[in-house]
Amino acid sequence: MRKLSFLLVILLLSATQLLAQRTITGKVTSADDGNGIPGVTVLVKGTSNGVLTDLDGKYSINVLKDATALQFSFVGMTKQEIALTATNVVNVVMQSEAQNIEGVVVTALGITREKKSLGYAVQEIGGDQIKGSRESNFVNAISGKIAGVQIKQSSTMGGSTNVLIRGNKSLTGNNQALFVIDGVPFDNSISNTAYVANGQGGYDYGNTASDINPEDIESMSVLKGAAATVLYGSRAANGVILITTKKGSTNKGVGVTINSGVFSTTADKSTLPKIQKEYGGGYGAYYEDPTGYFWYADLKGTGTPQLIVPTSEDASWGAKFDPNIKVIDWVGLDPLDPVNYLREVPWVAAKHDIRDFFENGVKYTNSVAVDGGNDLGHFRVSYTNNTETGIMPNSKMKKNMLSFNGSYNFTKKFSVESSASYVKDDNIGRYGTGYDPGNPMQSLGQWFQANVDIQDLKKYVINPDGSQRTWNYAYYDDFSPIYHNNIYWTRNVNYETDGRNRLFGYVNAQYKILPSLTLEARGATDYYSEKQEERIAIGSNQTSEYNEFLRNFNETNFDLMLKFNKAFAEKWSTTGVIGANSRRTLSTSIYGSTIGGLQVPDLYILMNSKSPVTTTETNYLSGVNSLYGNISLGYNNLVYFDLSGRAEKSSTLPASTNLYFYPSVSTSFVLSQLPGIKDIKQISFAKLRLNYASVGNSAPVYSTRSYYNKLTNWKSIGVFAMPTILPNDKLKPESTRSIEAGLEASFFEKRLGFDISYYKTNTIDQIMPVNISRASGYNQRYVNSGEVENKGIELALNATPIIVGGFSWDIQVNWFQNKNKVLSLYEGVENILLSSAWDISTNITVGEPFGVLRGTNFVYTNGKRTVDADGNYLYAKDADGNLITDAILGNVQPDWNSGISNTFHYKGISLYALIDISHGGSIYSVDQKYGVATGLFEETAGLNAKGKPKRDPVADGGGIILDGVKEDGTPNDIYIWAGDWGGAWLYDYIPTAAYVYDASYVKLREVSITYALPSQIIKKTPFTKLSVGISGRNLWIIHKNTPYFDPETNMSAGNIQGIADGAYPSTRTYGVNITVGF
Amino acid sequence: MNSKIIKTWFLVLIVMVTSCELPDNIDPKRAADVTPDVLVSNSEIALFNLMGSVNVNRNVTRLLAQYQSEVTYVTESRYNFQDRQIPDYHWGVLYRDVLTNLEKAKSLINSTAFADPQEKLNKIAIIEVLEVYSYQLLLDAFGNIPYTEALQGAANSTPKYDDAKTVYLDILSRLSKAVTDLSNDNGSAGFGSADLLYNSNIAKWKEFSASLKLRIGLRLADSNPTEAAKAVQEAITSGVFTSQSNSAIFIYTGTAPYVNSYYQEFVLGNRKDFCPTNTLVDKMKALNDPRMPVWFTKYLGEFVGLPYGKVGASSYSKFSHFTSIPNPVYPVIISDYVEVEFLLAEAAERGMVGVTGSAESHYNNAITQSMLYWGLTQADADTYLAEPSVAYATAATNWKQKIGDQKWLALFDRGNEAWAEWRRLDFPILNPPENMTYNDIPQRMPYPYNENKMNPANYSEAASAIGGDNASTKLFWDKY
Repeated sequence: MRKLSFLLVILLLSATQLLAQRTITGKVTSADDGNGIPGVTVLVKGTSNGVLTDLDGKYSINVLKDATALQFSFVGMTKQEIALTATNVVNVVMQSEAQNIEGVVVTALGITREKKSLGYAVQEIGGDQIKGSRESNFVNAISGKIAGVQIKQSSTMGGSTNVLIRGNKSLTGNNQALFVIDGVPFDNSISNTAYVANGQGGYDYGNTASDINPEDIESMSVLKGAAATVLYGSRAANGVILITTKKGSTNKGVGVTINSGVFSTTADKSTLPKIQKEYGGGYGAYYEDPTGYFWYADLKGTGTPQLIVPTSEDASWGAKFDPNIKVIDWVGLDPLDPVNYLREVPWVAAKHDIRDFFENGVKYTNSVAVDGGNDLGHFRVSYTNNTETGIMPNSKMKKNMLSFNGSYNFTKKFSVESSASYVKDDNIGRYGTGYDPGNPMQSLGQWFQANVDIQDLKKYVINPDGSQRTWNYAYYDDFSPIYHNNIYWTRNVNYETDGRNRLFGYVNAQYKILPSLTLEARGATDYYSEKQEERIAIGSNQTSEYNEFLRNFNETNFDLMLKFNKAFAEKWSTTGVIGANSRRTLSTSIYGSTIGGLQVPDLYILMNSKSPVTTTETNYLSGVNSLYGNISLGYNNLVYFDLSGRAEKSSTLPASTNLYFYPSVSTSFVLSQLPGIKDIKQISFAKLRLNYASVGNSAPVYSTRSYYNKLTNWKSIGVFAMPTILPNDKLKPESTRSIEAGLEASFFEKRLGFDISYYKTNTIDQIMPVNISRASGYNQRYVNSGEVENKGIELALNATPIIVGGFSWDIQVNWFQNKNKVLSLYEGVENILLSSAWDISTNITVGEPFGVLRGTNFVYTNGKRTVDADGNYLYAKDADGNLITDAILGNVQPDWNSGISNTFHYKGISLYALIDISHGGSIYSVDQKYGVATGLFEETAGLNAKGKPKRDPVADGGGIILDGVKEDGTPNDIYIWAGDWGGAWLYDYIPTAAYVYDASYVKLREVSITYALPSQIIKKTPFTKLSVGISGRNLWIIHKNTPYFDPETNMSAGNIQGIADGAYPSTRTYGVNITVGF
Repeated sequence: MNSKIIKTWFLVLIVMVTSCELPDNIDPKRAADVTPDVLVSNSEIALFNLMGSVNVNRNVTRLLAQYQSEVTYVTESRYNFQDRQIPDYHWGVLYRDVLTNLEKAKSLINSTAFADPQEKLNKIAIIEVLEVYSYQLLLDAFGNIPYTEALQGAANSTPKYDDAKTVYLDILSRLSKAVTDLSNDNGSAGFGSADLLYNSNIAKWKEFSASLKLRIGLRLADSNPTEAAKAVQEAITSGVFTSQSNSAIFIYTGTAPYVNSYYQEFVLGNRKDFCPTNTLVDKMKALNDPRMPVWFTKYLGEFVGLPYGKVGASSYSKFSHFTSIPNPVYPVIISDYVEVEFLLAEAAERGMVGVTGSAESHYNNAITQSMLYWGLTQADADTYLAEPSVAYATAATNWKQKIGDQKWLALFDRGNEAWAEWRRLDFPILNPPENMTYNDIPQRMPYPYNENKMNPANYSEAASAIGGDNASTKLFWDKY
């Protein structure tokens, strides 16, 4: 580094010597709203000497003494010429032309560009659109608002949100979009275990981009294609969400903004199962009393045995409810409860079921921001506090966010901007996910007795001796929970806690060497430390346990950039950057867990382990050094041509292949500048764009050599195991190549506009661990192989059908379709298994879109499910008569997505409504499979077509007819017995395909009404801004094809999607928000 | 002027990029090198855990042999291998966790210079015995398996399957070499205490490997009588177990995670998933078998077996339970003197050369040794042997049934071996699950579901070579 600083000094000195003239500074503001206009071209008349204004509309230009005037031009604004006088400050107010502004947009590396000059798709949303509904994970608020961005939000409190831009590109790697704040990458790790994604249980700890404070967001632009993101390097192949934060204003003195909101969260009951009310707990007539439905013992000592509910059975195929039958249920079994001991209660359905379990959550969000500035600089400080309770007991999230941003102009040429934010998260009681005792939905929604009342569970949780009370006792004299804990025990005793401290910030120094040349140096760091603690108490149905996970993450980025911006001759302009980046990422973690249970109750420390504690430590250090450059050439505001490239050297690849280069070219052609079209009044603007880009990507850390795994010692004897994944020391970078074409146009003074894009992206030489035959000795090996193609169309339409008086109506429609196809995998491998659970698996299959669901299938006759002579479904078999266990049953990718928003303004009132549509794609439901198999769901009871109870024996007129046809094609009319566990219907005898559903939905995603006090009135108050808003999110699922659950449900963000297991209801949020500025 | 700046700038950037050294891509938190003994310990744990496991995700052979049946979730008792991908687990553990680790240990030993050449021979021989045992488990579960092209990692990730008959002979010859190589001359040991089975007692290893050879020999008795007789004779000459004290019995430390699977599942995991079957309990009751109270608890004063593979749930509380449940150090028997005596009884019946003593004497001793092992007395054994339905002369008409029935009882809790011997001897008579036929009882495990996807060409070839990848396909050694 010493060599480097020496060179820098030389460079700076030599640059300074070239300077001589005087410097004019000033600010260009808009006559419309008084705000600064960024990107205005400031040109010295008669020369090619020019600059662009910065984000605040400020500029600084060196002029020769004989310069006469400055010309200010900006598309959509009337060009102005100001004669130079003795003063060195020239402020300009620009008027709109009849034509509207095409606008400027923040692109990669924080470079502000005229939108019309861009040869690639960028879509923007304003901060107001994101924070409107105060989503605790602001990423959710993007859903439906940007064409090409697919958001899948979690239904757990604080759960992770999947953000896909233009489809899955990497087969097994990370497909999540990169988040960039003010030019600096912001880590969006998802530290969930594979168990969570597979549905095997665990907590969804969310995605770390949720640390971004929506209150600080000024605007967001989404860079979708590789051409737009190439300057960000390898990680940006999945698209970039660029966030520009709010900065202090330089012309208003000090302002204060206070925001306060309160929101309520409720379970959407349309996404909960309906429980039958006719039959109680048991698996059938297998027990002790004469009817076979109950246990039978003389617990009271009366000489006549009492009927006892078979509490060990987690199903509802038991006796038909009859209030005349008196039974001892789980509440009456425990002698430690003398009040209820041996009480006999009528055998009836529970008054309170799953629908009564969920509570109302409350969310408070309060923030205060102070900003100000003058010609020398600006600052903004904000503090936000969010507190939220979930829809289950004992769930709470607290978030405190403090941020500072400021800049100071040391000289006219030298300025420094700095930003720092600190976030502290403290959470308790996240929701357990998947098929796991930590998830109350596993019992409530899959394995449960219809006679067990939620109020009883809430009331009787813990005995005086600290032991658990549950409906699922092993026997009438054995009070250990056999399969399921009391859900309130799960929530209140076996809870988790977690938290994160995060510091994110940068220092950016700018030095204007020449009017057209700026040197910029930036150092940035993103650091956080997180802790997760999980508890399973003694007395639970699993081995008691405490585990703790500590992780530190740190990414540092150093950038040196030389930016230039020059207009020459009358018609040519050029902008560009040449820079270098050095990035280092270090993630260290330690996970410790008790083994064999806890020694003493209620002490949650690792040392309370019965057997020696196990720990797992990681230390992942990687680095990338890069050189990058971009040049953009424009001619006469008509044609723009961009060339970019980046060379990277990555530490994670073998030395022979770790240096790689990738380029991009793009062009923009402003059709509306063409002579013929320019005169057509109806056409306000039209532009054609075209680009090609390639992005390289490096390997996962430490995947090039082999290591042994350490296992628990056998007494004092060390135990190590061979790795199960084969490394590969011949890996080379993977690459993504894309082409894109787009047309955007607006008509009738911008009352109507559209933007359409077509793209095709191919990701090749993917670095991935592929499953191999375990007879090779390994589960997987790293290869460089495979190709995935994503082709898509994105359409954004906007219209303002009505502007009358104070009333206006805006419509914005986004529609996009991404067709994903896996073109090849690896040598003869046609399929990669992503995960499997029971008889369903999620796969990557050649010739199919990413995320194929496979399992057993029906036999179809004329397109209808076919039954055998006994009336049970036939399974599809191959030519040899073997069961096909991997038939393709669906795919997790939607066919298309759309978002339709309508905004109405009337004076200070605005009403916004967003409808979010996803069409196609499949989802498999484990809940349906078991909820039906256990006789819990409504459809397993009631009457059949003959008007007889379905559960009666077929001989007595009961039974059910499975939907379908017989082998001869005639409609199925064979009755089969409904009540047989694992039998006649819906478990062992039904193909996987039965529980694969269409995942389409239409949702009323967001509605908000805002009233802002008009400026005439505000002027008479001490306030500068006063607005009140009412908003709601996820208010109504207008349409879905899944029986109970929300088709959007998922386990975790990531590549494994399409399985609902222990799914929570989706939540509605609504509330009030007040913003005051003074 | 500008170009000068830009040129200088390029220089600056290149210096910056090249002077910032990239970190090494070396994981500081994992071992790149280990000694072979830690891999041998790992292999033994993985192998014996697989044998000992009663978890239905890992080992269902106690169900297949009808020692146990499931109480509530009856899928596996009713021969559904797919839902829990049982074949994948069996195959995966043996190839990946056992054989690969052993092969690596072997190659580390082979590249080390030893002052005592016998020490090296012993180490390799111990590894070979464990490998042979593992391969036999694969062969007996599936039939044809990858062998000559197996365990090659990246060099061959789609290994071809070899003919089971040929592989059987090859593991037999490898075992023969190991038996010969094992020697305690000059006090040469093996892996010291890293050998968790025998603490590197070479004499015991030698007896175990000869006993294993006896087992393999008799497994081939119907399909290849010549090789079978040769192996049996050689095994006896080398010295099989002559007492229970040298038997291969794996004992857990009793500290989690190294506890017996019954304890893990029932006590630590709080599950109550299976009970002894009616097949087992009814048989023992009929014979007044004194081992019943040693193995089972009573329900209402009676030993009650759970009907095997019944449709629908049962109440755990209404049946006998296993007494092994509360014992974290409950042993896992790999090979013992009892089994050897049954094998010798069979060899005598088959008139094989080298067997001394009559079939009856070995049969009687086998049963007596089993009684003694389970803590019963000689008197208990004598009484039992006096029962007409137990006494060798009167127990049944054919020796396969006499030996088959009693061996099955004595192999209690050793699902893999019991299932294999039931297939070969065709006794005892098991109970087909409700609504199923006798032919539905599996004769082999279907190949792992993963193989079909990851190694499709070789998989298909193997499936057709063995006569179809079905549970009902008989293995080559199962001629009758």
